[in-house]
Amino acid sequence: MVYTDTDSESTAEFQSCNVNPSITGVGMTTFAKSDDRSLQELLRIASERALTGSEIDPKKVDSIHVGNMAAKAFNSRAGVANALASTVGTKGIAHRVENTSASGASAFLDGYDAVRSGRSETALVVGGEKMSAVDTETSTEVISRITHKQEYNQGITLPSFAGLAANRYLDKYDACRRDLAEVAVKNHANALANPYAHFNKQIHIDDVVASPVVASPLRLYDCCPVSDGAAAIILTANDKDGSIQVTACEGAIGTHAVADRSDLLRIESVRTAGKRAYTCAQISPSDIDLACIHDAFSILEWIELEELGFADSGKAWELTRKGRTDIGGDLPVNPGGGLKARGHPLGATGISQIIEIVWQLRGDLPDERTVTDPQCGLAVNVAGFGNNAICTILEAV
Amino acid sequence: MMRVLECKACGQRSFYDKSQCLDCGNDEFLCENPGTGQVISVSTVHVTPEGVREPNRLGLASFPGDANIIAQIGDSVSSGDDVVLKGGHELRDGRDGIVQGARLLPADG
Repeated sequence: MVYTDTDSESTAEFQSCNVNPSITGVGMTTFAKSDDRSLQELLRIASERALTGSEIDPKKVDSIHVGNMAAKAFNSRAGVANALASTVGTKGIAHRVENTSASGASAFLDGYDAVRSGRSETALVVGGEKMSAVDTETSTEVISRITHKQEYNQGITLPSFAGLAANRYLDKYDACRRDLAEVAVKNHANALANPYAHFNKQIHIDDVVASPVVASPLRLYDCCPVSDGAAAIILTANDKDGSIQVTACEGAIGTHAVADRSDLLRIESVRTAGKRAYTCAQISPSDIDLACIHDAFSILEWIELEELGFADSGKAWELTRKGRTDIGGDLPVNPGGGLKARGHPLGATGISQIIEIVWQLRGDLPDERTVTDPQCGLAVNVAGFGNNAICTILEAV
Repeated sequence: MMRVLECKACGQRSFYDKSQCLDCGNDEFLCENPGTGQVISVSTVHVTPEGVREPNRLGLASFPGDANIIAQIGDSVSSGDDVVLKGGHELRDGRDGIVQGARLLPADG
């Protein structure tokens, strides 16, 4: 599909992004249902792994940007960025960035801007969440409180929005329920060889359609898990041979009340963030070799692919059915397992998506989960059910 | 009866409180009767927050003036049905106490 940007505002505003930070180190903890270590420990471990990978002295880190949604609610903890700075041994500035489930990519955007502006020569971006510290009832309550007050009052949760969207999509277009299940099957298969994934379990379409209903027509295997974990990246202004460059990182907002949108199958924040990122990187969707999509629910993979210009409205399901989004297809999507199988520790997720692209561009991965010769990758991290989105594009140089 | 906000300048309608019209930026609204809407999609939610009925049947409905709303629906409501908003229902009884509000119910009910 040829992408056409008709948004003149975004063209004028973003075409001059010409200083590209490089990613020189990445590190993660394995995402898990329950990790015995504290949030602070998870953040420290991921950070130290990224610093070791980049061979940078922690004292040379000018700024720390921590993505975290709910340390206060989950862990009775505030000041996580300051505590991390002290532990890691950096002397620069540090702060926490909160943008619900897009906290990770928002922290990355914060670090990206710090390097591009010259405030930081080297930035440590780290995201993490320890959700297992509270029971399911409490985590459901914490997450449901990000919805608009009037929608919260109706008892609406994020799976509720996804269920309504999935029902609408399957009713309006020619996709069938088993096509939607195939999204989860694919992402679980991709996670099998990912040692950092929450799930290393192959599932089949029959497993998906027989799993318990969460929000009809969506079932348990259509939904991402609640996870613990952390992920970190070192961004630097210094070009290094063989490094990975961030050629775009752009955000956009959408309506807070989901029903205030003209169409439940449109996520304007994703569309706008994507347009801005393509413009900044001076590329189109056809230049993307792999994509990490925010598949908190299987239906979101299709909607976001359409909003990002990889398929026309109502056509993304065909990419799944034809195997084009498989790891061996022409547009591999979520080769690390996505939120569905790698897991979704809220503040870490956006950073883990970017790390997956780094690994793929570097060719650091085992053959069974390597995309063929990628040069350019895209990640989109979404807050709520599209209240906000951050789109990042990386290129190998 | 639940009301819908109508922008005085452009006529755009919304059920959700806001200080400015999302379409034209005007900050003056009329409170109008939403009339009869049509259900666009339905989901039955089996994992619900504390104090919310389980299962929680929800519907997305479109009303005149492109005003959409997601709300609890009655057991007999399906996609394509004509519905109205009727208040006085207990929507949840959780950490903030009892919350009452409107559900989408059959227009001919």
